[in-house]
Amino acid sequence: MMKFSLVEFSIRRPKWVLLLTGLITLLFLTQFPKIRTDTNPKHMLPATSDVRVWNDEVDKTFGLYEDTIVVGVENDAGVLNRETLGRIARITDGILALPGVASRDVNGFTTITNVTAEAGTLKVGPLMPAAPKTHAEVEALRAALFGNPLFVNRVISKDGKTTAIYVPLEKGANGAEIADKIRAIVAQEKGPERYYIAGDPVARDTFGAEMFKLMAMFSPIAGMIMFAAIQYMFRNLALSAAMMGVSMVAIIWSMGLLIGVGFPVHIMSSMAPVFLMAIATDSIHIFNEFYFRYKEKGDKLAAIRETMAAVSRPVRFTALATAAGFAVLLFMNIVPVQVFGGLIAFGTVVLRLLSFSFIPAVLTFVREDRLVRAAGSESVEGDRTARALGRLGAFGAARPGMTVAVALALVAVSVWGTSKIHVNNNLVAWFKPSSEIRVADTAMNAALGGTSLGYLVVQSKEPEFMKQPEAERWIEGLQRHLEALPEVGKTFSVVDYVKRINRVLHDDDPKYDAVPQTKDMVGQYLFLFSMSAKPSDLDNVVDSAFGKANIWVQMKTWDADAMRQVIAAAERYEKANPLPLTVKPAGIAYFNLVWNDEVLGDLVRGFSLALVVVFAILALDFRSFKWALVAYAPLLFTILFIYGVVGFVGKDFDMPLSVMSTLSLGMAVDFAIHFVSRLRQRLAEVGGADLPGALAWTAARPGKGIMRNAVLFAAAFSVMMFAPLTPYVVVGAFIVSMMLLSALLTLLLIPALVMLGRRWLVA
Amino acid sequence: MKTKFQRRLMREARYAVTKRWWIWIIAGLLPLQALALSGEEVMKKSQAAFLYPGKDFKARVVMKLINKDGQERVRELTMLRKNVGEAGGEQKYFMYFFQPADVKDMTFMTYKYPARDDDRWMFIPAINMVKRIAAQDKRSSFVGSDFTYEDVSGRDLEDDTHALEREEKIGGRDCYVVKSTPKGSDADFGYKLTWVDKANFLPLKEEQYDKKGARYKLFTADEVADVQGIPTVVKRSMKNLQTGHRTEVAYLKSGYNLGIEDSLFTERFLRQPPRKWID
Repeated sequence: MMKFSLVEFSIRRPKWVLLLTGLITLLFLTQFPKIRTDTNPKHMLPATSDVRVWNDEVDKTFGLYEDTIVVGVENDAGVLNRETLGRIARITDGILALPGVASRDVNGFTTITNVTAEAGTLKVGPLMPAAPKTHAEVEALRAALFGNPLFVNRVISKDGKTTAIYVPLEKGANGAEIADKIRAIVAQEKGPERYYIAGDPVARDTFGAEMFKLMAMFSPIAGMIMFAAIQYMFRNLALSAAMMGVSMVAIIWSMGLLIGVGFPVHIMSSMAPVFLMAIATDSIHIFNEFYFRYKEKGDKLAAIRETMAAVSRPVRFTALATAAGFAVLLFMNIVPVQVFGGLIAFGTVVLRLLSFSFIPAVLTFVREDRLVRAAGSESVEGDRTARALGRLGAFGAARPGMTVAVALALVAVSVWGTSKIHVNNNLVAWFKPSSEIRVADTAMNAALGGTSLGYLVVQSKEPEFMKQPEAERWIEGLQRHLEALPEVGKTFSVVDYVKRINRVLHDDDPKYDAVPQTKDMVGQYLFLFSMSAKPSDLDNVVDSAFGKANIWVQMKTWDADAMRQVIAAAERYEKANPLPLTVKPAGIAYFNLVWNDEVLGDLVRGFSLALVVVFAILALDFRSFKWALVAYAPLLFTILFIYGVVGFVGKDFDMPLSVMSTLSLGMAVDFAIHFVSRLRQRLAEVGGADLPGALAWTAARPGKGIMRNAVLFAAAFSVMMFAPLTPYVVVGAFIVSMMLLSALLTLLLIPALVMLGRRWLVA
Repeated sequence: MKTKFQRRLMREARYAVTKRWWIWIIAGLLPLQALALSGEEVMKKSQAAFLYPGKDFKARVVMKLINKDGQERVRELTMLRKNVGEAGGEQKYFMYFFQPADVKDMTFMTYKYPARDDDRWMFIPAINMVKRIAAQDKRSSFVGSDFTYEDVSGRDLEDDTHALEREEKIGGRDCYVVKSTPKGSDADFGYKLTWVDKANFLPLKEEQYDKKGARYKLFTADEVADVQGIPTVVKRSMKNLQTGHRTEVAYLKSGYNLGIEDSLFTERFLRQPPRKWID
């Protein structure tokens, strides 16, 4: 009743409705300047989550930095020559002077602590205090680098062609700005060297910039494509404009609300405009029906009323299904996904509200002469598309057994494909292979120990225990055990310092490249080391009470799985070598793993929830479990097909995909709702005698709306397939195929199923 | 809390000062002199008052290394110093460590030379070895504290230019404020400001600025006591303002002109320091 009066009001006072909509839109628009983006993957989980609390604690205990930029320098002729080393020294000096850089802990040739013995004198100090001036000095540096396992694969590659400068950032420093300044410093150097700027902050900020590009460029392009498509379908500028207007209004309201409430725009919410635009296409059913009705009646206002009456129920329930599909995201653990779910659910409600007010209001303004011309071709008999769709429905109805059998065979294959799905998140893989960040990451991983960093915190209940030789040897053994894994490029711990000092004190005798015999020796060596080293050198690997040690594990891939291997290997080692020590993983690589598993858990939870909710909505809408089951089939089959393909193609099942799978339920079911609702209306109107006829009619008339809707939806999302970031590409491809497939299956499979179960259903 | 003995010492010291009447004449001339002092001269006097008083010096030193979250590590040592020549000249340092427990009996010796690298030796009891240690980086941390070697034993005045910036009161005491800027580029700081007490020339506060011009480290003399008539900074701290880490140093027992022999500063005693000097 409420909705109906809203329609009436909108037809009587269209100007009021438009004015009011405009005013509210302006209000939301005022929030836009406050926009903030958040591209920190850490924020995927709430600050109170165990993994974040623990990681913060580890950072604090070991004086670790949250963000480090890695500057790679590569020279095919080797970096160990006077010219290149001079450049490295100049570049490092430049970096040290940058605001926001934690200069005291920058590690490169000129700053990293070296422990050597020369002519009986122990030397603890920067490896290369100044650029070498003679060939002999270069050779001495080469010997120092390759003679010290602490350096190989960390600041020098095995082939001597690549070095790295690790640049930690102060809390709150702007990573993008600093990366830009480093690029400027590097650009001043003329020479054969190649430079790579990599690291977490760079990835994040690149992502943020691309995200904005996507929102600012791709959303309008998607809008224009939709506009063109609508214009082609309805040949009426006012209608096309109304449709676009509705989606714009919904986008502005939702984004305005998001920004106004103070949420930052995250990867998920940056996709919201495209989603809302696509969901707005559901109003297509109104226009579609309006054209048919207008053609039949010739009275504009009556056509509007009748159209609204006919489509209001399916439109309301599809909106409900879509909103519910997104709202289940609110129950997930991943923060941006929750926000996104709420955002789209809100936007969907706004869209529906506008469908019953703004759209009828605009329809009253459409000039009748234009309408007559545009709607001229709009009849089931006269329209080629409608005829083809009708035949499709009739085919399903005529050969239900075969249709269902083929579909079931495809389902079986898909289920097999689904079993091959591999859950994995790899943040670097979100960038295209040709992107600067991927290139840098690939090059650095090939040359050095790996850009993905995890920690293993070895804990003892006793303070000072890490100075015990057996603890030191235990850690050393664990490091060797981990390094045997193909994913692990380098490990690094306090033991490496102890062994190094032991050897250096004994005239560089390789025999002493081992953990010394007594606790006093370990303690005194470390004290000796701390007399000259940077405070952070030891702080990074042991806590102040020597009760905890931190093993740095560099991995050559950002795959969440790599860290899982490391943890499993550590657990095996712990079991095989009992000592009162426990190992606990930490660091960004560990975070990625936890988050990866959260995604999986969320997926299972969200998916099951969405299945139940969508079924409940169907049952409620049709007031029949049987019809709900029928409408459910195309949805289930579509999703299975797509996952089957994902499994066969070998695409990692990651966060964007898992989110899509949940909310796709709510969107893909729309077509079935329209189809079944209108079919049953038709049956009520014309009687149940000619079931195949009614099916063909539904496939032709509301079916055309369904096809139009699917094509528009797909058109909007196809733009995302050209995005520079793979999650967008994947989401785009996913939605395009899902929409087209579920429309096709609705028109083909539902008639088949209805025919097969006609006794059971219609009786 | 000062002991009875210390109070007596101070009384005697004060008495000794009043007896020397000519000091008062010089003291009367001081303000005039002070006006004429350059930044260079202030720092020179400060160096003499802070790092060179007495012929020799001994102190039981407790260092607390305190991180941002208040976790403490303790270093306890006896420090012996002997001047070879005039203020600003050569010095010898001897340190014996009591704490942390596993470094007990470790000893550390430095020959400090003006305008060239120090010589340093360390005795490592666990392997019964004396090792020479290169002193290429005077700006590195002293035993993991926020003090650098230079903060402990002094920085060559010639390495910096010193300019008298202004005069200012600190805690009720008149100070010169001197800005010292390194001549070379090897220092880890861009410049530093030192507040030198006009009366006794002790540095009461020092601010080090990094090369980007941000405040980096803050030194404060937290307690100045009269030790045998010589004003001595007995409590001091150095705080790294960028990491929040700080080091507090207290001299528990200190004394001047004890007649420390030159022979103490040798490898032999590094291995087996005489009881009387280290307790």
